[in-house]
Amino acid sequence: MTREAFLRELEGQMEIPPGSLSESRALADVAEWDSLAAVLFIALADEKAGVTVSGKQIASTKTFDELLSLLGDRLSAS
Amino acid sequence: MKAFVAAIESALPDALLDNEQLSSEYEGWSPDKIYEKTGIRTRRIAAPDQCASDLAVCAAQALMRRAPLDPSSVDFLLYCTQTPDYILPTTACVLQHRLGLPTSCGALDFNLGCSGYVYGLGLAKALIDSGQARTVLLITADTYSKLVNPADKSVRTLFGDAAAATLVVASERETLIGPFVYGTDGAGAENLMVPAGGMRQPAVAHAELIADDSGNARTVNDLFMNGAEVFNFTLRMVPKAVEQLLAKANVEREAVDLFVFHQANRFMLDHLRRKLRIPESKFVIAMEDVGNTVSCSIPLALQHALERGQLASGALVMIVGFGVGYSWGATLMRWA
Repeated sequence: MTREAFLRELEGQMEIPPGSLSESRALADVAEWDSLAAVLFIALADEKAGVTVSGKQIASTKTFDELLSLLGDRLSAS
Repeated sequence: MKAFVAAIESALPDALLDNEQLSSEYEGWSPDKIYEKTGIRTRRIAAPDQCASDLAVCAAQALMRRAPLDPSSVDFLLYCTQTPDYILPTTACVLQHRLGLPTSCGALDFNLGCSGYVYGLGLAKALIDSGQARTVLLITADTYSKLVNPADKSVRTLFGDAAAATLVVASERETLIGPFVYGTDGAGAENLMVPAGGMRQPAVAHAELIADDSGNARTVNDLFMNGAEVFNFTLRMVPKAVEQLLAKANVEREAVDLFVFHQANRFMLDHLRRKLRIPESKFVIAMEDVGNTVSCSIPLALQHALERGQLASGALVMIVGFGVGYSWGATLMRWA
């Protein structure tokens, strides 16, 4: 799965319009990014990338680029 | 002698907390959104003067009436709660007297949350199999609503109050409960916690209300849940516990007729079910009307499955409890 496709899936889970999230955006700039969204991200990471992400790891990220990087090479650039 | 579960009864408080009420308090959260995220429509909330032990008495009395169970035959009372009446004495001692159980009856509390039912069955079975008891009354009861700050939607939308009474008795028959898998990881203690009110940090008068990044607010006297870390824990441990139990019991996954997991929230249960490739028909979700009832969620789900014909005599049931501690446990039951 590509990083773009993963973000589209995450938008679907968060029930926000497609294109709302981009790699360059800061998490703090997305009003809907909250503790519940973090749980949705963990579920998606487990299901789509087979990676178990911790809350601490998520808390250490500031942008969606950094967030996706938690999934390492399980996501492709394009 | 081998232990088996002879009957389960439960009790719920009268007051309802529904999504319409929550929606009116939390801006931007519609009743539908709350339902979609939690799988819960209503929670039952204990009255201000109603303790978990009061619900426990109702559940135990229902068991005595319907099972039926002669109180004088109970030789051990196991009471699982995290909302006891007092620091001391043990609530189980108070319950022995209120329920009219004989003074020859052993009674103890054990403090566990979502894993408590599995541990209770393990203790009851051990007492019976070792010949120390023949009739064990296992009661789980909690009123988490009293620990929840109204400004913290992360927990207020989830938890409901309840009690369940389970009769575990000795039988000449084959083994009907077990084997067991247990697990503990106290490194996760801080992720589901009421920080103040014990000896480490006594309850704080006029405690400061502190809001987190998600807009939920609580004091040190209130329940705190780090949802992301708790979810991460369940993803790591629950599938492992299921596999360990199947291996220990030498049972194929397909041979299990029904999976009854702690009813944490529907999102988590759906995810675990898909991850473990369990068909929906073999998986119980029973929290819509009661919420997450902590150590009562598994007995309530068993009752739910019984009432709907999802659980029949002879069925092999896997139950898995997991949560606060962290603590987890899993066992198999052949339904009598």
